[in-house]
Amino acid sequence: MKYFVRKIGFFLLTLWAVVTLNFLIPRLQPGDPAEKLLRNLAGKNAQIDPSQIQALRTMLGVPDGSLISQYWQYLGSLVRGNFGVSYTYYPFSVIEVISKALPWTLVLVTIVYVISFVVGVVLGAFAAWKRNTRFDSVVTIGSTFVGTLNPFWIALILLSVFAYGLGWFPSDGGYSEATPGFTWSFAYDVISHAALPAVTLLIVTPIGWILGMRNTMVLNLGDDYIRLAKAKGLPNRTVALKYAARNALLPSITGFAIALGSVLGGAILVENAFDYPGLGRLMGEAVENKDYPLLQALMLLTTVATLTANLIADLLYGVLDPRARKVDA
Amino acid sequence: MVRTASVSRVRHRSVGETRRRRSALGLLLVGALLLSGCAGSRIALERKAAAQADRGNDGAMIQQLRLPAESDASVNGLVNYNPYAPKQLTRSWIYEPLMIQNGSTCEITPWLATGYRWDANNLTFTIRQGVKWSDGQDLTPADVAFTLNLMKKYPAIDKAGIWNETYGAPATEVTVAGNDVTIHFSGPAATKFPGMVLNNAVVILPEHVYGKAGDPATFVDKTPVGTGPFTVGSYNGRRLELERNPTYWQADKVKVQKLVLEGTYDAQQAASKLAAGELDAYFGEIPNPEKTFVEKDPANNHFWYGAAGSTVLTMNLMQKPFDDVKFRQAVSLAMDKQQMSLKATYGIMAPASQSGLRLPVVKDMLPAQYAAADGAQTVLPYDPGQGNQILDAAGYAKGADGFRTNTDGSPLAVNFSVQAGYIDYQATADVVVAGLKALGLNASVTQSSPDAVDQQKKSGEFQILFEYLAGGCDFVRGLGSKIDTTQIPKPDTVLSNVERFSDPAVDKTLSDLGVVTNDGQRKALVGKLVDVMMTQYPVTPLIYAPARIVYSTRNAVGWPNAEDPYAFADSDRLIVLTHLSGS
Repeated sequence: MKYFVRKIGFFLLTLWAVVTLNFLIPRLQPGDPAEKLLRNLAGKNAQIDPSQIQALRTMLGVPDGSLISQYWQYLGSLVRGNFGVSYTYYPFSVIEVISKALPWTLVLVTIVYVISFVVGVVLGAFAAWKRNTRFDSVVTIGSTFVGTLNPFWIALILLSVFAYGLGWFPSDGGYSEATPGFTWSFAYDVISHAALPAVTLLIVTPIGWILGMRNTMVLNLGDDYIRLAKAKGLPNRTVALKYAARNALLPSITGFAIALGSVLGGAILVENAFDYPGLGRLMGEAVENKDYPLLQALMLLTTVATLTANLIADLLYGVLDPRARKVDA
Repeated sequence: MVRTASVSRVRHRSVGETRRRRSALGLLLVGALLLSGCAGSRIALERKAAAQADRGNDGAMIQQLRLPAESDASVNGLVNYNPYAPKQLTRSWIYEPLMIQNGSTCEITPWLATGYRWDANNLTFTIRQGVKWSDGQDLTPADVAFTLNLMKKYPAIDKAGIWNETYGAPATEVTVAGNDVTIHFSGPAATKFPGMVLNNAVVILPEHVYGKAGDPATFVDKTPVGTGPFTVGSYNGRRLELERNPTYWQADKVKVQKLVLEGTYDAQQAASKLAAGELDAYFGEIPNPEKTFVEKDPANNHFWYGAAGSTVLTMNLMQKPFDDVKFRQAVSLAMDKQQMSLKATYGIMAPASQSGLRLPVVKDMLPAQYAAADGAQTVLPYDPGQGNQILDAAGYAKGADGFRTNTDGSPLAVNFSVQAGYIDYQATADVVVAGLKALGLNASVTQSSPDAVDQQKKSGEFQILFEYLAGGCDFVRGLGSKIDTTQIPKPDTVLSNVERFSDPAVDKTLSDLGVVTNDGQRKALVGKLVDVMMTQYPVTPLIYAPARIVYSTRNAVGWPNAEDPYAFADSDRLIVLTHLSGS
């Protein structure tokens, strides 16, 4: 019990820190939302009329008052679930804006997440089983190399080859011609737009699982129960999959939660590169426009998602592996 | 756990740079193809179309015209046509202004008002008759008065500053008499007018809709009722299709049957969409359009980068040695504008006149002593030799390290802040620094984020940076605001007078200029401002800054261009529409 209480306490403490940082970081950067918005609308070569700034400030109600009083207001409205009105999309509320963008990211990230987990685990397990063969070196060295690449850079390469060069895929947006709905033409439109962003993420995200799975499994393969299984004359397939891989999978399941953060981070870069209408693109826009309410809600959403996933993983680990509870208690 | 979260947050912060980085890459790719380009290629067909437009547009119909989306919002499906929202699906085609002063020729085109007149401090608009809202009701002077009064009640939509102190005395009331709507101001307010006829700052709303809508700033207008040339056809969350309004009050001039607005494109995307015939015009920057676009199909592909203003070198006049006019004169002579034009704009944008005026477009405003050859002498030559002589004579001796020192012998280092990611600014900055070095100055460049540079403009903690000088049609809001004491930036607001020039005589000239309505007097006062620019060097104009259009004539002709610069394509879209016809 103590274990769970402590984990939840730690979760709450981190949550508070995140909420506070969410409040502080946007405000520490220079720039005024009204000016930014007008500047972005007008372009850099435009004189901004003081009367327009005045009108826009009145409209947005850009917060004044001390930082401390703003902080209390912010905490108060968070508790009430009121995230305010977006500056960029005024007069739409932050919730409305996010609810429009969320499905795009959710679908993209979920698909990428599941595929890369499966691909990563399978490749890692296979590399470990065939360790020190050519396949193993190609996979290990290859993924270490690819892992250092920036998804944004990969996105640009894919864009210039497959979108601009060959013209196989559209270069921007989530869909174009079709009217949204559950129709085949719309589904096709969405898939063709999501293909390049997904491929970009799929090049980078399985790396962690490949290396993690390979290393744990290599360790497991040296254990006595594997030697016993082999001595019993079990087929290689059974030893690899049912014995080694199964045990090596346990740390990967907690890794599943921890990796959420990095997948979301990658999605932000990739969505910006492809102008994909999801949360990452929205976050880029919020940063550009100094849209504090939107930015705060987005950062809160992503960090809370990561934290919650971690908490669940921690709690699950406690359930799955009684040693974790005992050692801590 | 905390670590994962903070890593993703660091990434979020870099996102602001990513779009710029992407366009930087685009420029590199384009740069690889680079040869020098020269402006403009035109064809007789276009001239014919423009001539037609002057007669009242009897050209062929255009079945479908495709332009980029007007809302750069990345989120799909938030529908709002409220013209006073910061962003709306379209800002040009549904609701209309009273009059339009185009940014290019400064001509004022009557729109929903047929005329205006000043009578002491009262501004009267005569409202056009026979205009219908798209729901069939008539536009009335009461609608106009309603809109103006709404701005009083809700200052958040008063974008032209009619009811407050910016650029002239605030309005006190609006009265209607017959077809006339009169705004009464509490004092001289001549400068309010140019603000009202620019950039759709005042567009007229239907009282029978917005009267029931409550706060117009928060009203979400999903089914717009406008007077404009188009009505909403369909919107799929991304692609907005507008249909020609057959009952439009000047429907005979509108030849576009269907207008499709879709996508926000960077230079590379736009160039490929234009070339593929999926886009008819683009108003953003395409570096070296001659090479990347026009050469692929010279008969149909064109561009026009008109001079909308100029990029000016801005020295901080509150600091030594920039407070010395001799020093500023020397620096102004060491600016190789020809080189900047080549490096930053592929030779498209011409070197700018020190007068601060857009030449030759507004050459008529030049005072007699500068007017020779359309003001050619006001474009200062590149002459570092003379600059050096001026600095020598002014006592900026060279120190032991070979760099010039201040007149009191203290070391002098000049630092230049340039906005990182503004590629043309960065290219220009290199030439500026070379010029400063040619003067024997210890000069360097610091690249900072545009936000940080804006912060420097507000705080005044900078030495040299680039600013934009609006070539606007009104000289109080444009050139004047650059040297107006009241327009010195405040700690929380960027205003135009970034260099912090202050001269009571200039302020007097500007307040006089805000009152006069007589052209001769106006020219004399503008002449005084030009003289300040030519002798005081408050800022140094470098090269003209563009209002752009890159377009194809395969589908539509009549676009504005260097030979027929009747309007700026981006900011004066309604005017341009009435000139377009099928090719």
